[in-house]
Parts: sequence; C-alpha cells; structure tokens
Amino acid sequence: MEDYGSSDDDYRYSDQEESDCELYENNDQNFELLSSTAQVITEESLLAAQKEDLRRVMDMLSVRQHHARTLLIYHRWDVDHLFEVYVEKGKAYMFSQAGVSVDEYRDSNSLVSASVMCEICMDDIPSDEATRVDCGHCFCNSCWTQHFIVKINEGQSKRIRCMAHKCNSICDEAVVRTLLGRKHPDMAEKYERFLLESYIEDNKRVKWCPSTPHCGNAIRVEGDKLCEVECSCGDQFCFNCLSEAHSPCSCLMWELWEKKCRDESETVNWITVHTKTCPKCHKPVEKNGGCNLVSCICGQAFCWLCGGATGREHTWSSIAGHSCGRYKEQEKTAERAKRDLYRYMHYHNRYKAHTDSFKLESKLKDSIRGRISISEETKSSELSDYSWVHNGLSRLFRSRRVLSYSYAFAFYMFGDELFKEEMSEAEREIKQNLFEDQQQQFESNVEKLSKMLEEPFDTFEYDKVMEIRMQIIDLTTLIDGLCKKMYECIENDLLGSINLGTIHSIAPYRSKGIEKASELQVCWSNKANNTGKSTINSIAPYIDCSTSVVIAVTQHIFYDHVGFLIYKLICLVNIVVC
Amino acid sequence: MIDFSRVQKELVECRKDAAGSGIQVSPKSDNLVNLIGTIPGPTGTPYEGGVFQIEITIPDGYPFEPPKMKFTTKVWHPNISSQSGAICLDILKDQWSPALTLKTALLSVQALLSAPQPDDPQDAVVAQQYLKDYQTFVNTARYWTESFAKTSSRGVEDKVQKFVEMGFPEAQVRSILEAVGGDENLALERLL
Ligand SMILES: [Zn+2]
Ligand SMILES: [Zn+2]
Ligand SMILES: [Zn+2]
Ligand SMILES: [Zn+2]
Ligand SMILES: [Zn+2]
Ligand SMILES: [Zn+2]
Ligand SMILES: [Zn+2]
Repeated sequence: MEDYGSSDDDYRYSDQEESDCELYENNDQNFELLSSTAQVITEESLLAAQKEDLRRVMDMLSVRQHHARTLLIYHRWDVDHLFEVYVEKGKAYMFSQAGVSVDEYRDSNSLVSASVMCEICMDDIPSDEATRVDCGHCFCNSCWTQHFIVKINEGQSKRIRCMAHKCNSICDEAVVRTLLGRKHPDMAEKYERFLLESYIEDNKRVKWCPSTPHCGNAIRVEGDKLCEVECSCGDQFCFNCLSEAHSPCSCLMWELWEKKCRDESETVNWITVHTKTCPKCHKPVEKNGGCNLVSCICGQAFCWLCGGATGREHTWSSIAGHSCGRYKEQEKTAERAKRDLYRYMHYHNRYKAHTDSFKLESKLKDSIRGRISISEETKSSELSDYSWVHNGLSRLFRSRRVLSYSYAFAFYMFGDELFKEEMSEAEREIKQNLFEDQQQQFESNVEKLSKMLEEPFDTFEYDKVMEIRMQIIDLTTLIDGLCKKMYECIENDLLGSINLGTIHSIAPYRSKGIEKASELQVCWSNKANNTGKSTINSIAPYIDCSTSVVIAVTQHIFYDHVGFLIYKLICLVNIVVC
Repeated sequence: MIDFSRVQKELVECRKDAAGSGIQVSPKSDNLVNLIGTIPGPTGTPYEGGVFQIEITIPDGYPFEPPKMKFTTKVWHPNISSQSGAICLDILKDQWSPALTLKTALLSVQALLSAPQPDDPQDAVVAQQYLKDYQTFVNTARYWTESFAKTSSRGVEDKVQKFVEMGFPEAQVRSILEAVGGDENLALERLL
C-alpha cells in the first residue's frame, strides 16, 4: 500500500473512463504478483500468437509445421498437455491418435509410372496430376480439390481427413492450400481463416472478447483462467464465464443473480398473487395474517379469496354476511414466498444502491476533473498536483463495484439456494456476522471517501487542501486494505470452508483493479512502433508486454453479450394486519 | 456437379459381378440420380431368403458426399426404421469416404443385417425387443422377411386367407399377423 503515500510524480492523468484509473498506480508492480497475465490478440497478432506454440512443438518433436498444427488442434492448443501425452504414451501413439503420418511415403515411393488410376473418379490420370499425401494414399488433384471444398463447407477445415476409407490421417495443409489456390482462391482463404481461428476457438487459454459489437479481439490468459480482464476495447469481463466482471461473486452466483434480477416475474408475480386490490380505494393490500378476511388501511374489509367487500365479523371459517365458499387457504407457501421475496429485496436494494451511486459518482468525476484542471493551471506546483484525487476516485469506483457485487454474493452465501446443506444454522449465523462486519466497515469508509471527494477543495486554502489531501490518501489506502480483507474472508473463511470443489471459486482481489490485457507484440516487426501505439491513450507502463505475436480474425460474433441488469421497481405494498 | 461418369462406371462394375455378390444397382428411371439397389438377406439370419430393395439417391456432391439410402422393402431390424426404412449406418454419415462405392456401401448395409447394433438404434421399439425378448425379435424379423421380402409368400397368404375365411377383416388380419410375427395362435387371441 506504499503506493498511495509515495511521491506522486509517477502518477499521470489520463482522459479515459474510470476503468482506466489503475493507470495512476503504476509504481506498485511488486505489490501484487498475480499468476495470470492477459494479452490481447488482435487480427494482426493472431498468426504470431499461434506461431509461438507451433514453434515450440516443431522444435520439441522435430516435426513440420502442419504436423505441429494437427497435433495442437487435436490437443486443443494445450502445449503442456501435448508434451505430457508425448512423454507418457510416446510419439507413435500420439501421432496416430491425432492423425499425423510422418513422411514415410514421400519421395521414397515417388510416382514412377506415367499414369495412375485414381480410385475416386476411377480414371487414369497422368502422374503429375495426382498428389500423394503423408499417409501414402494417392488420388488425382481434381478429386482432392473437390474433397477439400466439401469438407471446408461442412466446417471441418481443421481436420480434413484423407479420402481413403478408414484412413485417419489429416491432410497436409500445404497440399490443401496449393490445390485450392489454383482454382478456388476464395476457398483457400476460407480454409486459412478457419485454421487461424482454431487457435481461438479450440483453445482453453484464449477466448473472444464478448463485446458487442465485437471488437475483433481475443484475449489470451496465462496461468489461472479464473480472472477478470479488460480488453483493449475497454470491455471488462470475467474470463471464466464471459459475463461482466463480477467478483467477489462466483460465476455461478452471478449467473443466478442476473437471472433472478432479470426475472421480472419474481417480484411482480408475488405481488399479484399475494396482494389484492381493495374494493373501495383500489390500493393493493397484502394479506399478513392467518385468515382470509383482510382489511385495508382505508377501513374496508374484504374477502381475500373473491375480493368482495364484507363485514368485519369473522371466524376461522366464515365471514359475516359473506358466503363465497372459498374460505380456506394454504398458509405456509405464501408466508415462505413472502419471506424469500423480502430477503431478495433487502439484498437487491443494496446491490442497486451501490450501482446507482457508481453512476452518480461517475458524473461527479467529470465535475471534479473540470475543477482541478483549472487549478492545475493556475496554482503553484505543490497545489496543482491532484493525483491524490484521481487515486481516490479510482478507489471509489472500484470499491462501489465490489460493494454492489458483495450483496449478490451475500444473498447466495447465506441463503438456502446454494449452501443449505453445507452449513448449520449456527455456523451460518457466525459466518454472516463475520462477513457483515467486514462489509460494513468497508462500506462506511467508502461512503466517507465519497463524501470527502465531493468537497470543493479547489476553493480551499493551502492548509485545508493539505489536510484533506492527507485524509483522502489515508482513506484510500485504508479502503484498499479493507476490500482486500473482505476478499480474503470470502475466499478463506466462507467459500474455503465449503467443500464443493472449485465451482464457487472467485477471481482474486487485485488492488489495481481489473487487469488490462496487454497488446501481444509482433516480435519480428519493430517493437518501438508498438510501444508507441499503446501510449496514445494510456500510460500503463506496468504492463510488461513481452513475448508473442500474429492474423486476421473476421467479424464473427460468437457470444451474445449478456446485457446489464434490468433494474426493477419494487412496488409498494400496504401491509395491513387483520 | 454430380460425377455421372463415376456413377456410370460403378453401375458397369456392379453388373459384372452381380452373380457373385448378389448385389445389384440399377437406375430407377432414365436418370442416374435415383437408383435402386438390391441385396439378398444374409444366410443364417432371419433375413435369409429375402431380397431387399434399397432406394438410392445420389447427392450433388457425390462421391465426396455419401449417397442417401433407405429400405423400400419393410424390414424388422434395430438399425432400420420399421416405418420409413431409414438406415442408421456410420459410413452413410460421417464415416463416408469418397473411396467407398455404392457397392461397398450396400455390402455394409448387408453386413448390418447380419450384425445389428442395438446400442445405436434407429428404431427404438425393435431395439428394445432385440435386447429384451430376442426370440420374439427373430420371429418377427423372419415373418417380415416372409411377408415383404419374398416374391412368393405362399405361407403368409395361406394364413391370411384362413383368418379371412373365419370372418375377420383382411387389413386387420395382416397387421396383427405382422405384429405377432406370424404366430397363428397369438394372432387369433388378438383378433378375438
Ligand atoms: Zn480422381
Ligand atoms: Zn490416407
Ligand atoms: Zn474487446
Ligand atoms: Zn464469471
Ligand atoms: Zn382501501
Ligand atoms: Zn369471498
Ligand atoms: Zn382475522
């Protein structure tokens, strides 16, 4: 946390949205050593990205590129897994399993006779119009070409098998390319693209950015795939489930929560089922007691079952002056549904409150920026340094997100839906207290920070500014620590004690916020150019882009972007005791 | 883009050794898109003695795409629909190779008659029967062969005739006899 108090010279101001705020905190590289590093793969860098993996396999196994690709596609671009299979099962097994035939027939058995009989078209073909592939099977070029076209159109570009019956060998991509290129350049292009995209689609470590409209990028993650990343297009998402970044909720919790919030019926149905309109004043009235005579705050009594106005005298089985005959009901389900709904409303209201604050504060940010940009120009150097404001703002935004998601988390953590069997009632209560303690501390300090940042410090005297500066710096650091503690509590004390595997794991806390994927660099092209490009609208020097490289991804949209929540108004209900 | 020359050559090849394999392929009408294949029921199976007709449609992409085949002769078999005659056979789907021919495909269909694969059924009812009540399956398959795959099915006609003379409607008699695999006692039970 030393970053906030240190010299502010390292901080620079960027004009981007709040998600870029971590840019100010680039001097804490040693602060977090997280296992995952994300990289953006663009249309330009896709080729290079896969060349890297191809190269490793080619070097390791001394095979040619098309064999390396066949092996990698078969093993879903998991180089480590491929090497494991190689060590455990041997080369021969691995090759035949993936459909790789090493050049036994090539050259040695070259076509000697002037013509060959093609088994497919059943014609005699001059031998220079026939092609023998790695497995030794030889057919005429025109049959090969048609076979390739059919397979590509069937979407099988990545694994085009030899035409011979029961031959598992995958065709050499150079043969496919050459033969198609002669008369069908469009198909050759399509084939090329499928091969390239295989690197994204068949690869566990790489996923398309879920932005809509699609930015054309993919993200590659090294190490832990349970992480949150930001694409260079600005889209932030959970790499694991591809919805918006949602920690400290687990992916499953978030999926359930989103569905619940979207599901209008949850609330609306309850209200229609559990309230009735008063026959006199037409307000919705909730039945809150045991019997079916309800009375509205206006004084009117009516029968819950038929809605008809009645007198006030009643027993458990009848109401005076009324005999609709439906006077009986099952209490339990209604009571339970009501309790569940109120519980949901409790968490949802808080969840939404923080999301709303986030929106308001985003506006506040603009006005603060406006104010300080003026004083930056007019005041002395010490006063014109407002990096503490930027840091405070970015901490505020990050914390708001976490706070709002923490309510969705709590809804599931302490509810019956997921962990009913996992904790005893008493255990749950202890855990809930523990968590709420931390959440509240975190929350109250966030509110404090929010308030402080609203102060018109640009109009303050020097001493006052210095005072509020210190307070904000301290608070910012404190909040970071509290947030980190809350994550640790969730990971270790709450989720850690529940033995359900990794399904409820959450993306780790990052003090700097969601990791921005770095641009994959093209090694052999000029590196300087690339670095220059990345500084246009961001500073991000802590991103140490190192390795790799790449080609074109076309504009397929592969993922429907899960839209943001649809917020709902919870209707007001008059509760009347019978 | 149908390669008619290849289909043509295949037909010639087939005709040459029809006597040996018993497998025939001939055009349905004057084009080479719709063909009729004929396979003899394999010996030692309930299909023995029957001759099965298969309707063949040559797709545009042939031989790079598999020919479409279905039985027009009714047949009782786990991998062949008793309703539509559709065949569940891998080489007619994703395991097709352009190096296969109509004749080799028909040979595979013939092999399927000898070796049903009830775990990958086309007709669930037949497959269930095959697994749970093998004897009834054999009887039914044999009766269907008698009824539908033989040019002269004297025995069947005699049975039908007998029941019709007893006063039962012919259509009902035929369908019940099919269902019980030609067992006269069972058929009578059901008719009554
Ligand atoms: Zn050919
Ligand atoms: Zn081959
Ligand atoms: Zn993107
Ligand atoms: Zn997720
Ligand atoms: Zn009222
Ligand atoms: Zn009533
Ligand atoms: Zn009452």
